[in-house]
Amino acid sequence: MPEIAFISELSAFRNRIMEKRNELKGTIAICGGTGCQSSSSLKVIAALMEELEAQGLAETVHVRPTGCHGFCEQGPIMVVEPDGIFYCHVGVDDIAEIISETIRKGEAIDRLLYTDPVTGRKIKTESEIPFYVKQKRQLLAQNRRLNPKSIEDYIALGGYSALAQALNGMEAGTILKEVIASGLRGRGGGGFPTGRKWKECQEAPGEEKYVVCNADEGDPGAYMDRCLLEGNPHSVLEGMMLGAIAVGAQHGYVYVRNEYPLAVEHAKKAVEQAREAGLLGEAILGSSFNFDIDVARGGGAFVCGESTALMASLEGRVGEPRPKDVHTVVEGLWNKPTVLNNVETWANIPAIILKGSDWYSAQGSNGSKGTKILALTGQVKNTGLVEVEMGTPIKTVVFDIGGGSATGKPIKAVQTGGPSGGCLPTYKFDLPVDFDALYDAGSMVGSGGMVVMDEDTCMVDVAKYFLTFLQDESCGKCVPCRLGIDRMLEIVTRISDGGGKPEDIDLMEDLAFTMKETALCGLGKTAANPVLSTLKYFRDEYEAHINGRKCPAGVCQALITYVVDGEKCNGCGRCLRACPHNSIIGEKKKVHRIDAELCKKCGICRSVCEFDAIHTI
Amino acid sequence: MVQYVNMRIDGSHYKVPKGLSVLDVAIEQGVCIPHLCHVPNLSDIGACRLCIVEHVVNGRSKVTTSCTLRVQEGMIILSNTDKIKRLRKNIAELLVSQAPNSKAIQDIAVRCGVTTVRYPFRNDDCVLCGRCVRICAEQWQAKAIGFVGRGKDRRVDTPFGRKSETCKVCGNCIDLCPMTITPCAGPMKPGEEYLCSKCESQMLEAAGVPDQCIWCELGKGFQCSRHLGGHA
Repeated sequence: MPEIAFISELSAFRNRIMEKRNELKGTIAICGGTGCQSSSSLKVIAALMEELEAQGLAETVHVRPTGCHGFCEQGPIMVVEPDGIFYCHVGVDDIAEIISETIRKGEAIDRLLYTDPVTGRKIKTESEIPFYVKQKRQLLAQNRRLNPKSIEDYIALGGYSALAQALNGMEAGTILKEVIASGLRGRGGGGFPTGRKWKECQEAPGEEKYVVCNADEGDPGAYMDRCLLEGNPHSVLEGMMLGAIAVGAQHGYVYVRNEYPLAVEHAKKAVEQAREAGLLGEAILGSSFNFDIDVARGGGAFVCGESTALMASLEGRVGEPRPKDVHTVVEGLWNKPTVLNNVETWANIPAIILKGSDWYSAQGSNGSKGTKILALTGQVKNTGLVEVEMGTPIKTVVFDIGGGSATGKPIKAVQTGGPSGGCLPTYKFDLPVDFDALYDAGSMVGSGGMVVMDEDTCMVDVAKYFLTFLQDESCGKCVPCRLGIDRMLEIVTRISDGGGKPEDIDLMEDLAFTMKETALCGLGKTAANPVLSTLKYFRDEYEAHINGRKCPAGVCQALITYVVDGEKCNGCGRCLRACPHNSIIGEKKKVHRIDAELCKKCGICRSVCEFDAIHTI
Repeated sequence: MVQYVNMRIDGSHYKVPKGLSVLDVAIEQGVCIPHLCHVPNLSDIGACRLCIVEHVVNGRSKVTTSCTLRVQEGMIILSNTDKIKRLRKNIAELLVSQAPNSKAIQDIAVRCGVTTVRYPFRNDDCVLCGRCVRICAEQWQAKAIGFVGRGKDRRVDTPFGRKSETCKVCGNCIDLCPMTITPCAGPMKPGEEYLCSKCESQMLEAAGVPDQCIWCELGKGFQCSRHLGGHA
């Protein structure tokens, strides 16, 4: 990779790459993201390379291992260009056929195509798949088109032209104005206006300033930032460079958790390549702008996603938050003015500078502009990464994109925003994915986690799950968070164990209020949200646990009894043989029954019954 | 030259040197703000959250700890509102339910108006106020003890749990520890803990002069900085 010394050389360089690409017969993009790697995509890539070599096609067909395509459930995913034929669940055995049929003859292989679950029709390209149709993939769509380890791929797609534009006579103030006018809000959870943050940092006194990328994503089930950093690291770097020009920073850090090995690798590689290309370092593209980035690995503590804890960790101290009476934009990393944004926020910046704030602010709802990536998980048919325009109703995400319930049972709630967010019931599904609307409803967009739950989910149990997570991840510095979460979990556990008292609900609300008002950092302040939102929308479930000693969803073991439905049981004896506690009594061909004294409520009988005759009350 | 700023705490005007924290000012001026992790001349970390106050900015109030809040020109602080009293009481309740076997914590509970404890008692030996850790690191530059672990596993320990080589055996960690003095009636056995509240009479005296320091015995009990030797 030669050094690009001047702004004008960038486009010449791009043209040279494009010319070379035009000579290719076809390109096979295959997902090498963490999701598809877990379904053996690396083996498929290796087999594909080998086969192309053997058939003498290695020179004319380009194999591009890419970042995440989003539809992780269907992995490994392969897209054969130029026709854009979309294959899912590709295995090593399919390679020979793909080369002989698709590459040589240009014909699609029916077996590997995606089947529409509603119509049963085979779908040939990504743009027709219902999962993708209702999305607006501005950031994620890039992933498919580039190899994250190749700066050439990024430049070929127009990468770093925003940087060139900014260095070509654009003033720092203009970049700032554009970002403010775009209405972009922080994607990490708080939704703070990015432009305002930058402006405060730019106005803060001091020569030495920093920009930091927060890639310490830690919400259970959320992986938006991982996929962006893995799939398109240069877009994040470019965003940081533009931020550095705007606020006057000389150095940047990408703080990424070590649990994301691929993201660490790709980010490091990208930084190296950018340095080689002269896009990082001194006198970038022949201008007076000097800037460099380092990749720092975090130990994976959830609390290190909090701004002050992250900075403490970056400085080499214990990752604990400090009081924020003085904001980090004034006194941040090493007490210098610092802009901290998360991966997705930074990745949005290049397009805003390139296409203008009007283009960006035309998308989204009143208070929330642009698109948002969501990690759709839980009991929904199509799980994966989803990017929608802000303002899209939750029901569109869950039913149209997600395809509705995976279990066939009605959907009961969706949990948004991770442990700091809340649960929203189905009658709130008209709410848009919008920072303010979700906050007002007692939840939040957060970093974009979206966990769908069906009616077999017990809301007390959900609250217990998140409290257990938060108890593990609290740093333990301040009393309301450390002892508050501990006591809250104690109460919720008591309720799910059948020992709840009517006054417990008031106590939880009082304690939640205390935590929200007095905890030291954002983690503690929002730690009570899972309890508060479930209390708000599913209070009857708590009351059933406490007053009726019943778990309506049949989850809390202490409160349920397994019984045999006499009308459905035909006395096959499977449950009797499967029960490890010998608690099932019955003769062949006669209705069985369960001895409640002996039953340990393991649920094995229900799982082996083929006639749906065992249920809980 | 010392620069001064004008500020108000609960309506009273004060002209105070710049650089002080709101809690420093309150202690100096005799405004009673209960506190636990604050020790004069040591850094403030805002861990116990007992010294919370309402900071009013543009008509909107924000709850924050007074020990970490620096005084500013025109600052308006409310230290004794119903909201603050409620929150402070709840925090003191969490503390006393965790470590009832300490006269200091029991006294704080009385001062903050805890009358019933709604959680099952535990009998911990440490409330993680961090006084010992900071005096060791900051006064003696020894760092013989520090915080280990996270969340519910957080504890104070020597490096790797062995006898520290840097310990100067000064004993300051013990002097400052709020857990070293048991309640007046003697140590409580596990399972027999209770809320002491014997000193409620102290509060009756204080009730006549709300939020003003009367050099109460409770303060002596929880090592209020006024008893420890004034402000920073």
